[in-house]
Amino acid sequence: MYSDQTAYWMTIEVDSTRESRPLPYLGAVAIVAVTVALAFLAHRLMPHASLSLLFLTGVLIVAARTGVGPSLLASLLSFLAFNFFFTRPYYTLKVAAESDVVTLLFFLLIAAITGNLAARMRREMTRRKASLNRLSGLYEFNRRLSSAAGTEAVLEALASHLQQSLERSIAVLIADAEGRLQPRAKAGEFRAPPKTAVDTAWTGKSLEPIEIEQWTFLPLATSNEPVGLIAISGGLDEEQTDSVRSVSEQAGIALDRTRLVADLEQARVVSETEQLRSALLSSVSHDLRTPLASIIGSTTSLLEYGDSFSEANRTELLATVVDEAQRLDRHIQNLLDMTRLGQGSLPLKRDWVDVHDIVASAVERLSNALKGLTIDIEIPPSAPLLWVHGVLIEQALVNLLDNAARFSPAGGHIGIDVSSDEARIFIALCDEGPGIPEAEREKIFDMFYTVRRGDRGDLQGTGLGLAICRGMIGAHNGTVTAHAGKDGRGTCMRIALPVTRPDEVNKA
Amino acid sequence: MSESPGTILVVEDEAQIRRFLRISLEAHGYAVEEARLGEDGLKLCADVDPQLVVLDLGLPDMDGQDFILRLREWSRVPIIVLSVRASEMEKVQALDSGANDYVTKPFGIGELMARIRVVLRGHEGATSTPTVYESAGLRVDLAQREVSVDGEPVHLSKKEYELLHLLTDHPGQVLTHQQILREVWGPAQQDATHYLRVLVGQLRQKLGDDPTRPRFIVTVQGVGYRLAVAAP
Repeated sequence: MYSDQTAYWMTIEVDSTRESRPLPYLGAVAIVAVTVALAFLAHRLMPHASLSLLFLTGVLIVAARTGVGPSLLASLLSFLAFNFFFTRPYYTLKVAAESDVVTLLFFLLIAAITGNLAARMRREMTRRKASLNRLSGLYEFNRRLSSAAGTEAVLEALASHLQQSLERSIAVLIADAEGRLQPRAKAGEFRAPPKTAVDTAWTGKSLEPIEIEQWTFLPLATSNEPVGLIAISGGLDEEQTDSVRSVSEQAGIALDRTRLVADLEQARVVSETEQLRSALLSSVSHDLRTPLASIIGSTTSLLEYGDSFSEANRTELLATVVDEAQRLDRHIQNLLDMTRLGQGSLPLKRDWVDVHDIVASAVERLSNALKGLTIDIEIPPSAPLLWVHGVLIEQALVNLLDNAARFSPAGGHIGIDVSSDEARIFIALCDEGPGIPEAEREKIFDMFYTVRRGDRGDLQGTGLGLAICRGMIGAHNGTVTAHAGKDGRGTCMRIALPVTRPDEVNKA
Repeated sequence: MSESPGTILVVEDEAQIRRFLRISLEAHGYAVEEARLGEDGLKLCADVDPQLVVLDLGLPDMDGQDFILRLREWSRVPIIVLSVRASEMEKVQALDSGANDYVTKPFGIGELMARIRVVLRGHEGATSTPTVYESAGLRVDLAQREVSVDGEPVHLSKKEYELLHLLTDHPGQVLTHQQILREVWGPAQQDATHYLRVLVGQLRQKLGDDPTRPRFIVTVQGVGYRLAVAAP
């Protein structure tokens, strides 16, 4: 029930900053030594009694900086040094004057009082510093929680915060979909909590901390349910338990929040998919049914009343059937292409293709739709061969041409201009249609854009054509963009494809 | 229709398609035999010895490619393949296996009729080798190795001439890249479509052919080339 997923572990270096013990005592000795040296220099200039003040200053310095022990040592040493060097008889430890005994007592007394005071002051300072550390740790923890984007970040923040504040090994375990605990974050010099202890703690479902086998386990819960455990090496006192509990509550709230965000994202994706699906359905039913309506209408008219129709009318109706059936075929092709593109599984069968051929066969395929329009094709003889999947590029061009034909006024011009530079070949296709407002020139490549706009007007098409065009060009690392037409009239669609040199292609 | 120009075997599983093919083909004087399955089709081929086979590649009982290979084991009867779009690989494969041409579904009957005429004409012509090809202003004198367009002589390089010769051998019929590469460059260069594109470009230029509205050499995207023929 407990598997080690080392990938999740993050480690935090614990550096011991404790002072080593003998240092303050050495300091005390050193300060006394310095005082003796100063006293030798000063003792010709000042009265004998005043020298004791010099030593007292030394003792005070030691007391203020360290604790009772070093200051007592400093006062004892000061007294002995004072006695040895500066009281008669010199260089003995004998005390001649009673006043010097009093000095000794003063030394000891002052050392005890100031040492004690200084030690209390230091304790207080240390505590302040610790609480400041805790506060800033909590603040940092809160900051990390509120910016945590996902569950993982929350758990890592929790583990590292507990490690820093308790200086223990921490593991955070979260139940997976099957209710089994998985370690998801850890901090400290990690020792894995024993499996059996974890299982006992988890199955107990206790809300109180439990201590099993030198580990303390606390539940981690969101507002709905317990979701996992916090494992801390060693026992906890009451204060620590309280602080861990409040931290784990905050983590629980943060987990709630990240789960909510994930749910919302999921819901947004689902609703977008739904939107697309319904757009697809309405587009399919509209675009497949419209030509079918014409076909069924025309053919039933011919079957029922064909005898009474003039020859010209019969031919016209039959021509309608052919046109509409071909339109239906194009729509179906679009839907198929879209599906292939959407699956991301469009296999590119690249080969050398002459851009003349692509343009020629695209124009040829649309010869019906282009009837009555003038097509001007400009291709420089220097245009390089394309290393592409020809049928796909042709289809992309057909879709652009189809659009251009639909929006062109009767008798209009459509220009197809090919140009190239070192790196790219450009195919520009310009019509004299109504043009596309600048704000919409990107959106028209969205799937079903014409449908989403609601008002289809006299537009025909699935709204798929341009999306497919972009998909197919994009699959060749090319781009297709819409621009204003020449002289501000109409639209220019511009395809750019990378140029490949024959020696770059290693066709095995 | 007393004098039949020949029998056409239609191997197709869709009854509606068989029906309109039968009506149109019979209206053009052909006798029509129908088969719904590939096995039946192969048997009928042996029984009635048709002049041409129209074959749907998507048969319920066997792969159309296998049909072609099995038929080609013992018969050289021309085959026209019916294939859906977006599968140019399938078409190329069928052509390389021995099909003579293809029509993409959905198709207009006029297109199929034109293909049938071209294939039948080419097949009949195969027995008596003509020494001059002439169509739509293009004249190729195979004996003299002379080429002219609208009466103007054109000088071609050896490879250009070989390519043109190959196309005039199958006027109106599509030839795959592989077939052309094999014939003109030899089997070692079968992947060198780059050379082929360049050669076609040069040949078109010398023939004064506008590549965006080709008069002679028509590109069949993803498949190959065909020599355009004047409508009869």
